[in-house]
Amino acid sequence: MPGILDYSYVTKDYGTAWSRRRVRALDDFTLSLERGEIFGFLGPNGAGKTTAIHLALGFMRPSSGAGQMLGKPFGDAKTRARIGFLAENVALYHRPAAKLLRFYGALNGIRPQRLRLRCREVLRQVELEIEADRNVAKFSRGMQQRIGLAQALINDPELLILDEPTSALDPVARVAMRELLLESNRAGKTIFLSSHLLSEIELICHRVAILSKGRLVKVGKTEELLVSHDRYEIVARGVPASSLESMPQVRVVSLNASLGRGVQLTVAAQLQREALEKIWALGGEVLSVNPVRRSLEDVFLELTGKGGLA
Amino acid sequence: MRAALLIAANFLRQHRWPVLLLFAWIVLTAGATGDFGRSRPVNVDVYFYFQQQAIFICIFSAFLAADAIHSERKSRRILLLLSKAISRGEYLLAVMAATWATAIAYAILSAVCGVWLTAHAMLPSAGLWPLFTLVIAGALVSASVAMFFSTFLNPYLATGCTLALFSIPAAWHAARHAGAVWWPGFSLLLQFLTFTLRPDWAPRWSTAAAALLESVIFWGLAAIIFERRDIAVPVE
Repeated sequence: MPGILDYSYVTKDYGTAWSRRRVRALDDFTLSLERGEIFGFLGPNGAGKTTAIHLALGFMRPSSGAGQMLGKPFGDAKTRARIGFLAENVALYHRPAAKLLRFYGALNGIRPQRLRLRCREVLRQVELEIEADRNVAKFSRGMQQRIGLAQALINDPELLILDEPTSALDPVARVAMRELLLESNRAGKTIFLSSHLLSEIELICHRVAILSKGRLVKVGKTEELLVSHDRYEIVARGVPASSLESMPQVRVVSLNASLGRGVQLTVAAQLQREALEKIWALGGEVLSVNPVRRSLEDVFLELTGKGGLA
Repeated sequence: MRAALLIAANFLRQHRWPVLLLFAWIVLTAGATGDFGRSRPVNVDVYFYFQQQAIFICIFSAFLAADAIHSERKSRRILLLLSKAISRGEYLLAVMAATWATAIAYAILSAVCGVWLTAHAMLPSAGLWPLFTLVIAGALVSASVAMFFSTFLNPYLATGCTLALFSIPAAWHAARHAGAVWWPGFSLLLQFLTFTLRPDWAPRWSTAAAALLESVIFWGLAAIIFERRDIAVPVE
């Protein structure tokens, strides 16, 4: 069954036909979004995230490969009435917020009466109801970002494509944005979210894709990506930490009141069995063995080979 | 169609100050030509006013159309516009409609000022309305040609190419003392330059019709090229 947004072996090269210098922004990119999910799209600057989004919206054409959005080929104008898009560094016309939203809504063919209602609703959602009559030119960057999100929501879209939606927001607004996205998702919207803010992605996305140098390096459920099967964390009691000194990363931890003190070891997968046998040989009791949970930042840095985010 | 009209209205709103400033220019030049009522203007000045207004409207339309796509891309506002349910052809149609609406407003204002000027110069004014109808056709063709070039060139080159497309037939005509009337834009230009208020001056409506047809062709070509262009890459 086709997804709500499908890329099939899409390659995009930049550069003119007569220019020798061509840059490959996206290389053999294949991805499928499922209806109803929040999908995180990660990658360092220049990885090709925005290119992938712009291809889906028909702003540019793939050099090879193809894709579909809501069952129609990329660039189909009518299909865009069913999606909402927020661009990175959103650029808006200098008009009062409510009028601007009605303008964008009308472009999607929403009738005036419904548009007035939707306009009030989305302004309330982005907490800018009292600024409805103020010109967006006088808004702060964060407020403009929220109006940008409001215009993406005005047509009650099935698919929301958001390119760095929280980049200009302060921490409080970021939390509000996160709540808004979760609420939209609960209302049935699929969300395709490109962001540098890994903690945001980790908190709300069901699945994540990591892009590096135009290639998809990892895609999977967020929970699965965060769990490392290379290293395990073992918690045991009844065995002194000093007796496990030969094992790597041993530390004493406090267990709950009834269990007293214990030791926690982090061992490589191949040493897991050896560690368990040693604990049992010393008369200890193994309380838990779990794969180590990493942060999304760890996964990202490992996969993109970056020492830090660009 | 409603979306195209909305974009056209928005485009006019965006360009309202230069447009209003040029409206003032039309009134001021008419006033200056009429010498603010102190003396009767001579015929040559009145004709010059009409000819320069006619050509000016066409050139302004070309400038306006040539810069439209570029400025929207540069400001990145085009991204939100084209993320809505409108095709690129509709978008170009909207820009054309806005440019044409501006040209019509100019032409009407010029004609109204012209009526005052001819009355002041004691000249007949019957030929003014046909002249400015031809001007509207000329503005449309210059805008559509400029828009066509602007789909693949920067606005300066697009304007240059548009002017060249009008100038080459003119140069041909000057060298051969004939011909080149096959190009409707130039044919209209010739009519502007030979305009008189005498009853023997008759507009050639077939040229206006050819100009309209040519505008449609150039708009179609522009739409085909623009449809294939990447719009989300940085502009120079």
